[in-house]
Amino acid sequence: MRMLKKLTWTTAIIYGILFLISLSILIPILNLLAMSFSDPLRVHELKGLDIFPKGFSLINYEVLFSNPLIVRSIFNSLFITAAGTALNLFLTAMAAYVLARTNFVGKRLVIIFLIVIMVFEPGLIPEYLLVKDLGLLDSYLSLILYKAINVFYLFILMRFFEDVPDSILEAARIDGAGHFKIFTKIMLPLSKPGLATLGLFYAIYHWNEYFRATIYLTDPNKWPLQVVLRQFVVERDNTSLLGAQNVLSYEQVAALDFGSLQAGTIIISMVPLLIFYPIILKYYAKGALEGGVKD
Amino acid sequence: MREKRLWFQIKRDWVLYAMLLPALLYFSIFHVIPLIGMKLAFQDYRIIGDNVWVGLKHFNVLFSSPAFLDVLKNTIIISSMKVIFFFPVPIILSLIINEVRNGPFRKYVQSVIYLPHFLSWVVITGVWISLLSPVDGGINVIRNFFQLPSLDYMTSKDHIRWVLVISETWRSAGWDSIIYLAAIMKISPGLYEAAKMDGATSLQQMRYITIPELLSTVVTVFILNLGFFMNAGFDQVFNMINDSVISVIDILDTYVYRIGILNGQYAYATAASLFKGVIGVVLILSTHFISKKVSGKGVW
Repeated sequence: MRMLKKLTWTTAIIYGILFLISLSILIPILNLLAMSFSDPLRVHELKGLDIFPKGFSLINYEVLFSNPLIVRSIFNSLFITAAGTALNLFLTAMAAYVLARTNFVGKRLVIIFLIVIMVFEPGLIPEYLLVKDLGLLDSYLSLILYKAINVFYLFILMRFFEDVPDSILEAARIDGAGHFKIFTKIMLPLSKPGLATLGLFYAIYHWNEYFRATIYLTDPNKWPLQVVLRQFVVERDNTSLLGAQNVLSYEQVAALDFGSLQAGTIIISMVPLLIFYPIILKYYAKGALEGGVKD
Repeated sequence: MREKRLWFQIKRDWVLYAMLLPALLYFSIFHVIPLIGMKLAFQDYRIIGDNVWVGLKHFNVLFSSPAFLDVLKNTIIISSMKVIFFFPVPIILSLIINEVRNGPFRKYVQSVIYLPHFLSWVVITGVWISLLSPVDGGINVIRNFFQLPSLDYMTSKDHIRWVLVISETWRSAGWDSIIYLAAIMKISPGLYEAAKMDGATSLQQMRYITIPELLSTVVTVFILNLGFFMNAGFDQVFNMINDSVISVIDILDTYVYRIGILNGQYAYATAASLFKGVIGVVLILSTHFISKKVSGKGVW
């Protein structure tokens, strides 16, 4: 009885609204999931709001994972994300340590320089011409070096570094440790949550990046997954998706549904995110709050 | 004497400069050089030899080009629609979420509504193409249920701008509500207790405590967003644009991409993007000084 009394009309409406909002996000995604696992012969029965597959078949994923373009692009994405994030973290952390925890002649000047950089974004064309002049077109360096340090993230990491107690650094200094040693042996191990947060920020950026890859990489063999996905889903190019097929018979190819293959590609690109989502929620949301960052 | 001490300090701290060097080098190459490269807006591009100064030629062409003025108009319309119809949503959402007690349901809702923020616009476009598909797309299934004919939203000039606003809301409303929720958490619980003593209902508490306390955060976020007004969401438009709707959603950034990267008119495209950049900087600086004057708090 007491429970029922508490369930007033307003609470019921609020819970109802929030539940509907959550469905508006989940249903379109679950619908694609269902489509990708549906039997190609029955997928036409699947309507836009259905979340369970019609029949069950792995054929879409068999086709996708036997497509060299897709398989290679997954590895390309993993490589760009891993290498890019490692470089991002190292450069950002080293600069953040120097700026947050030491004093030196010209520090104010450097901070002003960073703020100026934050305000004035260079345009697309000069950046493109620079990458071209440096001979970085068609090289992963163009993706990894571009945005190697994000100034916003640098400021966030500086806040994390400021939290490390002075006494620990002082003790190391008395023991004769140099700045680089203090940075690698004390600062980095003590700032794991901050580094994890930043690492997620950067990794998500690299995993989702498609635009620079579109303009800087002309060789399809080098494309990351997002560019291939864009090719299939946005540009609706189905020849490169089905053309490279040789494991299937003609009847099987004829029975395939392009929409389901697109759905499967979208789902594949979301898998790493879903795996890390619990960790992302824990660190990323917290980091975003502390940094007051908005991208 | 003082100079000598300065040199001594610099020499002593050489490790610090060495540690800072990669970052400074990176910013100089990948940020300062392209920034200086914006001077291309006043030049003609030459593949061989030096570029030629041409003054305001490209800007004259730009402002007398109907294509550019259309793009400028689209940018302002789309951005304004987002300010009016998207901006309030995360605020309302945070007020609603705040009414839900901490527990599994609140955790579920928050986990779900933050999810789209982490998806790229390529993925979101894929999801929305499917959702809005004239053949069995979710929205048209609902329309058909109410006896309404199917619509092809992605190629409809009348609807595509709303698709931009609503898909932006779908992606960002949840995530953007975090900053307001954080502000609500910081409100002193004493205020609510006092209100409860006076017999205020939860609706009255929201009206007289939460909303007024939230106002300064709303203003700050609004001002910060204003600096990005001319962006209008490049990644979103870049993926959702197609030949049927290009005339109504082509914005400054997609225009720069097309004439610059695709057509190779580097100097002309740079002029367009410099124009956009200058407006952006003016907006950021003026909001910074207005905010400093009004609330004593600047953007940085």
